[in-house]
Amino acid sequence: MTMPTGVFSALVLTALAITTAAPLLLLVLLIRDWMRKQLW
Amino acid sequence: MNSVNSAILDPTVGWAILAGFSLLWVALGWYWGRHAQQLDEYVLAGRRVGLALGTATAMATWVTSNTTMAAPQLAFQIGVWGMLGYSLGSIGLLMFAPLATRIRALMPNGYTSGDFVRTRYGNTAWRVFLAISLFYSLGWLVSMGMAGGILIHALTGIPYHYGMTVILAICVGYTLLGGFRAVIGTDFIQALLILTGLVVIAFLAIRHVGFETIHSAVLAQRPELLNLMMPAAIMFLFNNLLFGIGEVFHSNVWWSRAFSFREGVGFKAYTLAGLLWAPIPIVAGFIALAVPALNLNIPAADMVGPMVAADLLGVTGAVLVLVMVFAALSSSLDSLLAATSILIVEDIYRRHLKPHASAEDMRRAAARIIVGLGVLTWILCAPRLTTLAELLYFTGAFVASTIWPIAAGLFWRRTNGTAAIAGMVLGSAAGLYSYFAIGFYVAALTGAAVSMLCVLLGTWLAPREFDWAQLREDHPLHTRELS
Repeated sequence: MTMPTGVFSALVLTALAITTAAPLLLLVLLIRDWMRKQLW
Repeated sequence: MNSVNSAILDPTVGWAILAGFSLLWVALGWYWGRHAQQLDEYVLAGRRVGLALGTATAMATWVTSNTTMAAPQLAFQIGVWGMLGYSLGSIGLLMFAPLATRIRALMPNGYTSGDFVRTRYGNTAWRVFLAISLFYSLGWLVSMGMAGGILIHALTGIPYHYGMTVILAICVGYTLLGGFRAVIGTDFIQALLILTGLVVIAFLAIRHVGFETIHSAVLAQRPELLNLMMPAAIMFLFNNLLFGIGEVFHSNVWWSRAFSFREGVGFKAYTLAGLLWAPIPIVAGFIALAVPALNLNIPAADMVGPMVAADLLGVTGAVLVLVMVFAALSSSLDSLLAATSILIVEDIYRRHLKPHASAEDMRRAAARIIVGLGVLTWILCAPRLTTLAELLYFTGAFVASTIWPIAAGLFWRRTNGTAAIAGMVLGSAAGLYSYFAIGFYVAALTGAAVSMLCVLLGTWLAPREFDWAQLREDHPLHTRELS
């Protein structure tokens, strides 16, 4: 049973979307923590 | 392969990148650690780490050189199940999220995972656990040190011993200067570098080659890589899942983070880190599947990622990979150095050798042990005795046997301590046997199964009572500092 192109593309694109969003989310959280004085 | 002749980057460029990042990490380590004189500040960043730094440190530490290099290798060797199997490593982080909350609530003044096992199960279980934990930590340290030497050599032609020495010396240097604060701060930047590099290479692969071409080229040349019914690969998937859970549940790398996070942060940080980490091996693996479409001749399976990056981006791609690899290695090595040093300081130095050690003594001992661990790792890395994968999966048998003793001990009042010891000893033995008799891909699976049987059966036959308040007792160091 072979993985079809559509499933393959969807899997990789979803993974890539999360990986792209991850650094942005981390930066937003960093700014939020910094403003609340809760960095460390 | 002669890596010097086939290195992607010029050694001078390699040295320049290593020097630049080394200076940056050491300077940041010094800056962040300049006020960390107290023990809690030095080893647990004052126990006030917020969500952003907490999430990034969990994620970056879990992105080892294995994730950036072995995930493409596994995709190249066993296909989509290799990517997905590696991605299941995130389950370890996700499942640790409730444990982190529980650990912080039960042990607000705790320092190590050893503290928990000793108080919960007694001295014998504690010593068995320490043997497993220290063996694993050393195995991970050595595998990272070796990976540093091998990858830097393969990418730049810089001799193995030089590359390995540089990466170890730098990580020891900034961890020593800044303690846990330096580890967490640099982890944030390293997480950003790893994620950005990976996204750039994957986007270029899609833009230059495209999904259709990649899929059809794999189907034509290596159809087994897209086969969803590959038994060995499915076995690998479950083994990797349990290996990951075992690694996270027992290791002081993750416990020390649970102790260091601000109250209420542990659950969110580990959940978010797990969710953000899960797609990384899929993206890294996808890059490797572009090989048939790019018609690349891969000299060694673990060079798949760098070769694709270099083909798509030339020298810039190779620089990107070197930066990613350096970030991935540093983020794991510094965490291991810091977490293993406090494990040795608290569980061996103070509990075995110097029971009346002051916080100041422990702070000094932690610094010395970081240096000692660096030297020991260098000595063990120097002869390059085994391959990375062999070393990594060998420890799987041991760590998976700790899953049940830890999880049951944290949530199940009646867990029997003798059953926990049997679980760790017999689980490790069974895992080791299956490692040699069957293969690396079943060691963690067997170890976890035998350990589960021991803990469940032993507790069912002879349940014990335990007072959770024992874990909440103030750490003697706090009591002494307050008085």
